Amino acid sequence: MGRQETLLYLDGVSVSFDGFKAINNLSLIVGHNELQAIIGPNGAGKTTMMDIITGKTRPDEGDVYFSGTVDLTKLDEAAIAELGIGRKFQKPTVFESHTIRDNLELALKKPRDVFSAWFYQPDDKDTARIDEILDMVRLTARAQELAANLSHGQKQWLEIGMLLAQDPQLLLVDEPVAGMTDAETVETAKLLKDIATTRSVVVVEHDMSFIRDLAARVTVLAEGSVLAQGSLDHVSADPRVIESYLGR
Amino acid sequence: MITQTLIRALDRKALFVVALLLFIAVAVPVSNLYLPEGHPLRVPDHFVPLFGKYLTYAMLALALDLVWGYCGILSLGHGAFFALGGYAMGMYLMRQIGDRGVYANPVLPDFMVFLNWKELPWFWHGFDMFWFAALMVVAVPGLLAFVFGWLAFRSRVTGVYLSIISQAMTYALLLAFFRNDMGFGGNNGLTDFKDILGTPIQSGTTRAVLFAASAIALALAFLVCSAIVRSKLGKVLVAVRDAESRTRFLGYRVDNYKLFAFTASAIIAGIAGALYVPQVGIINPGEFAPANSIEIVIWTAVGGRGTLIGPIIGAVLVNAGKSWFTGVLPEFWLFALGGLFVAVTILLPKGIVGAFTGGWSALKARRASARAEEGTNLSGDLKTSPAE
Amino acid sequence: MSVIRLVISMIATLLLLAATAPSMAQTDPLQTLVQALPKGGYAEREKVILDLAGTGDPRVADVLGALGKGDLYTLKDSGTVIVATGRGNSLETADPLTGKALGAVDKSGLDKIRVNNRLRRAIDSAVGQLTLMGKDPATRLAAAQSMLKTTDPAAIGMLDTAIAQEDDARVKTAMEQARAAALLKSDAALENKIAAIDTLIAKGDREALAFLTGARSGASADLLPAIESGIKSIEDKLAFWSALQNVWYGLSLGSVLLLAAIGLAITFGVMGVINMAHGEIVMLGAYTTFVVQEVIRNNFPGLFDYSLAIALPLAFLVTGAVGVAIERGIIRWLYGRPLETLLATWGLSLILQQTVRTIFGPNNREVGNPSWMSGAFDLWGLSITWNRLWIVIFAMIVFAVLLAVLNRTPLGLQMRAVTQNRRMASSMGIRTPWVDALTFGLGSGIAGIAGVALSQIDNVSPNLGQSYIIDSFMVVVFGGVGNLWGTLVGALTLGIANKFLEPYAGAVLGKILILVFIILFIQRRPRGLFALKGRAVDA
Repeated sequence: MGRQETLLYLDGVSVSFDGFKAINNLSLIVGHNELQAIIGPNGAGKTTMMDIITGKTRPDEGDVYFSGTVDLTKLDEAAIAELGIGRKFQKPTVFESHTIRDNLELALKKPRDVFSAWFYQPDDKDTARIDEILDMVRLTARAQELAANLSHGQKQWLEIGMLLAQDPQLLLVDEPVAGMTDAETVETAKLLKDIATTRSVVVVEHDMSFIRDLAARVTVLAEGSVLAQGSLDHVSADPRVIESYLGR
Repeated sequence: MITQTLIRALDRKALFVVALLLFIAVAVPVSNLYLPEGHPLRVPDHFVPLFGKYLTYAMLALALDLVWGYCGILSLGHGAFFALGGYAMGMYLMRQIGDRGVYANPVLPDFMVFLNWKELPWFWHGFDMFWFAALMVVAVPGLLAFVFGWLAFRSRVTGVYLSIISQAMTYALLLAFFRNDMGFGGNNGLTDFKDILGTPIQSGTTRAVLFAASAIALALAFLVCSAIVRSKLGKVLVAVRDAESRTRFLGYRVDNYKLFAFTASAIIAGIAGALYVPQVGIINPGEFAPANSIEIVIWTAVGGRGTLIGPIIGAVLVNAGKSWFTGVLPEFWLFALGGLFVAVTILLPKGIVGAFTGGWSALKARRASARAEEGTNLSGDLKTSPAE
Repeated sequence: MSVIRLVISMIATLLLLAATAPSMAQTDPLQTLVQALPKGGYAEREKVILDLAGTGDPRVADVLGALGKGDLYTLKDSGTVIVATGRGNSLETADPLTGKALGAVDKSGLDKIRVNNRLRRAIDSAVGQLTLMGKDPATRLAAAQSMLKTTDPAAIGMLDTAIAQEDDARVKTAMEQARAAALLKSDAALENKIAAIDTLIAKGDREALAFLTGARSGASADLLPAIESGIKSIEDKLAFWSALQNVWYGLSLGSVLLLAAIGLAITFGVMGVINMAHGEIVMLGAYTTFVVQEVIRNNFPGLFDYSLAIALPLAFLVTGAVGVAIERGIIRWLYGRPLETLLATWGLSLILQQTVRTIFGPNNREVGNPSWMSGAFDLWGLSITWNRLWIVIFAMIVFAVLLAVLNRTPLGLQMRAVTQNRRMASSMGIRTPWVDALTFGLGSGIAGIAGVALSQIDNVSPNLGQSYIIDSFMVVVFGGVGNLWGTLVGALTLGIANKFLEPYAGAVLGKILILVFIILFIQRRPRGLFALKGRAVDA
C-alpha cells in the first residue's frame, strides 16, 4: 500500500526522553475503514505512539502522514483533532462538572473558535445527533446528570460517544474496556466494529478476549517498534511475541 | 444569535441580581441626597464612597472569578490590571486640576514641577480628554493581559507556574511605578483631585453619581460574565479548567479561549479600578503590591468561585469585615484575614455560595475524594514518570 | 590595717615615680638638642636640625614638624622649649618630645622659635628622611604614601637613598611608585620616564591612572605613546577588576538567594507544595538568632562570638518543628490542590508576620555580627567583607549537606520514593505521612538556618520574609523544579546578572529587568533551566 492510499502512515519514527528510546524506528500503516488492534507489554511505546499521532509529542525523526498528504508533525493537537483524528485516553477523561449532554455538545463537530462558541445555539439537527449518540452509548436516561456521577465503564462509553460526536475519520482508542464487566466488554467490541464500517479505528488493549472479539488485524509493539503483525492467531504463534509479551 | 445569547444570560437568578444592583444604584444615592439628615433610612455621607468602593472591589473579584473560577487560571496579578485602570483615570483627574495645583502650572501636574520637568511626557498627552482616558482604562489593562496571556498560554505555562509569574508581573510593575522617572508620581502616586467631568469630585452629588455608576458597571459586568459562562464558550472554559488536554484533543484551541477570558477579565478589572480611584481620591503604587492581588483571590474564594454571585458577596463581606476590624481591633485584622485564608481553603473550598447550594454533603464527598486521591496527587504537572 | 597601709605606701611610691619622670627625661641627649634649638642664629639652628635628624629617633619628626609649622616656642621665664597650639592669647602647651600636656600659658610669656625658607627646606628633607628611613616599616610606608601624594621632584634623590637601603618589599614598592610619580613630573631622561610609567602600570589602580592622565597634558611627543598605552592598560585592568568585583557581589547575592530558595527547592521542588509562608519561616530563623543573642548579651556576654553557632541548631529545630506543624495542620489536607495550598499558606504567612509583630514589635531588631564576621579585607584588587564571605561559604555547605541528605541517607531515599510514586512507596512499607511531614520539616529547617545567615546582612523585621519570597520562587522556577543543582545555578545566575545590570540600569530597574527576563524565560522553557523531559503525565 503506497502512502497515498493510507489513512495513517508512520515511517521510521523515533523519539527519546532523556536518552531512553520510547519509540524506535516505528513504521505503521492504517488503511481507510480499517479496525486495527495494537498490543504490547508495558513500556512498548503504545501511548507515546498515540501522543505522536495526536501532536502531543514531536518525534525526533521519521514521517507521520494523515490521508497520505498531511504532515502531522507540523500540526498541534487542536489542528489534528479538527482534521479528523479523535483520541480516547487510557484513563477515561470526561468533563465531570458538565452534564452528559453538554459533554457531547462540546464534542460535536462545529466551528471551534471563541466567538462561534459564544453565540452557538444548538439547532434541531444537532439535538437529533446528540440524541442518537446518547442512544448508541446507552446514556439517554442520564443525559441531564453530571458526568462525575458515572461509573468507570460508563465514562469510557461517554468518551467513545464524544469521539463519535467529533465525527473523525480515525479513532484512537486507548484501553476502552478497562473497568468494564464482561457483558459491557462484548458490547464495546460490537460498538467499535460498527464504527469501523465507516471510519478507521485503532484500539490499544491488553484484554485478549476483547481483541479476539474485535477480529481485527493485530500489531504487536515491543521496545518502541513493531514486533509482529497479522491475525491474532498468527501473532500469538510467533515465538518472539510469546517471549516478550504473552509468556509461555 | 446575539440576542439569544443575551436572553440566556438573563435567567431568573441573574435577573434578580441585576435588578437588585440597579435598585441599589438608584436607592442609595436618592436616600443620601433627598432624605433629611437623621432620617432612619438615610445613607450617611461617608458610607456612599465606602459602599461605592466595595462595589468596585466586587467587580474586581468578579473579573478574577471569570478566569479562576471558570477557567482555572489563578492569576496572582489581577491587582495590576485594576491599578492600571486606576492610573489611567488618575491621569485624567490630574490633568483636570489644571492651574489649581500648589505650583499653579496649567499643564504639568505638581509632582512634575517638583521634579523640575519642563515638558509633559508623551504618554500623558491626551489624558485631558475624558474619552481618551476612558479608552485607555480599557486598552492598557486589556493590552497587557493580551500580551502576557499570549506569551504564557501559547507556551502552556499553567497552574502554579502561571500564578507565580503573574505575581512577578505585578511585582515588577510595583517596582517600576515606585520610580519617580516613570512619570507617574513615584511612591506618592496621583492624588489631590479636584474635578471629574467638570463637577467637583468631593461634592455629594458627584459621589452619589459615582456610586450609581459603580453599581451599574457591576450589573453590566455581571451580565457580560453571565452571557459568557452560560454559553457554549463558558462550557468550554469550564472544560479547560477540568481537563485541559481533553479539550485540546477535541479540537479547541485552548490558548485562544484562555486568552479571551484573561483579556476580558483584565478589562473588567481595569474599569473597576477606574471607578475606584475617584471614590477614594488617590492611586499609588501600593495597589500593585502582590499582597493586594492575593487578597482579591480570597474575596472570591470566600464568596464561592465558579459562581457569579459568590465573588460579589465575598468582596463585600470581607471588605466590610476589614473596615470593621481596622476600626475596632486594627492589630487583629491580619490574624483574621490569615485565618480566613486557611479556614476557607480547608473547610469551605466552594465558598459561602457553594456551601449553601451544594450543601455539606458535597464538601464531605470532596474531602473524601481528596483523601482517596492522595496516592496519585502531587499534581501531575510537577513530576514526570518514566515513559510507558 | 596593715593591708591598707601597704596599699597606701604602694600608691605613694607610684606617685613619686611619676613625679620624678620629667627629671629623668632631662638627661636624654635628645632633650639637650631640643633645648639647643632656640640658641644662636639661623646657621646654628640649621646645624642643630641636622644633628637632630642624625639621631634617627622617630620623635624628632614631630619636633621638627612643629618647628616647621611655627608651633615651637620657648618659655620666657625658664627658656624651656615647648609646643604651643591654639588661638587667641592663651595657648595650650605640651612637651615637644613626650607630648605631655603642660597647661595653658599666656602668649605674652612665650617666644616663638623662628625659621626661614632655607631652614624649612632643611626641616622638610630631614622629616622625609627620618620617616623614610625610620625604624618602623609602617612609618616608612606612610611616608612613602604621603610622598606619592605630594610628588615633589626634589624628593627623588631622597627616595633613591631610601630605596637603596629598604628591605621591606611592600615599603620598597610604595617608595618606587612615589619615585616614579615624582619622576614623571621632573625633567628626567626619556627612558627613565618610560621606566617610571611601567612602575605606575604595575601599580595599576585609580591613583596611577590619575598620574598618567595628569602627565598626558604636558608630555613630549616621544613619551605620549607610552603614556597612552599605559592609560589603556590600566583602564583594562581596572575594568577587569571591577567586573571581578561584580562577580563577587553577584556571587554573594546569589548565595543569599540560594539560602532563601534552597528550602523552597525541597518543599516546592521535591514535594510540589507551594509554601507562601516560606519567607516567614526564614524570618522566624532570624528572630531565633535575635533571641539567642539577647539571652547571651544579658547573661553570658563572653559567648557572643559563639552566638551564631548556638543559633543555627536552635533555628533549625524551631523552624523545623513549625514546618512539621504546618504540614500536619494545614498542608496535608490540601495535597493535590496546589492553588489552594498556595492560598492557605499565604494566610499562614500573614498570621506568622502579625504574631512576630505582636511579640517583638514592628521595628527592626538589632542582630550583631560576631567579631569574626565583621570588617573587610582586600584580596588583590577586590574588597571583600567577612560576613559576605562567610555567607557564601555557608550557603555552599548547606547546599552540599542537603545534597548528601537527599542522595545518601535513608530519609532522602524515602523522600524521593514518595515523590516519585506515592502509592508504590506506601505499599513498600514507607510511612508516607511521616515522610511528608519530615520532608516539609527539613525544608523549613533549612529556611530557618537561612534566616540565621540573613540576620547578619539584612534588617530583622517582621517583613523580612516578604522581601525574599518572590525572589526565592523566581530562583526555583528559573532553575527548574525538582532539581537542586538547578536551584544552585539559578540562584548564582540571577545574583550575578542582577549585579551586572545594576551599574547600567540602577538597582530597581535592574531588578525589574530580571523579573521580565524570567517571565519571558518561563514562556520559552515552562519547566525551567534543568527540567526533566519525559512523557507528560497529565491526560
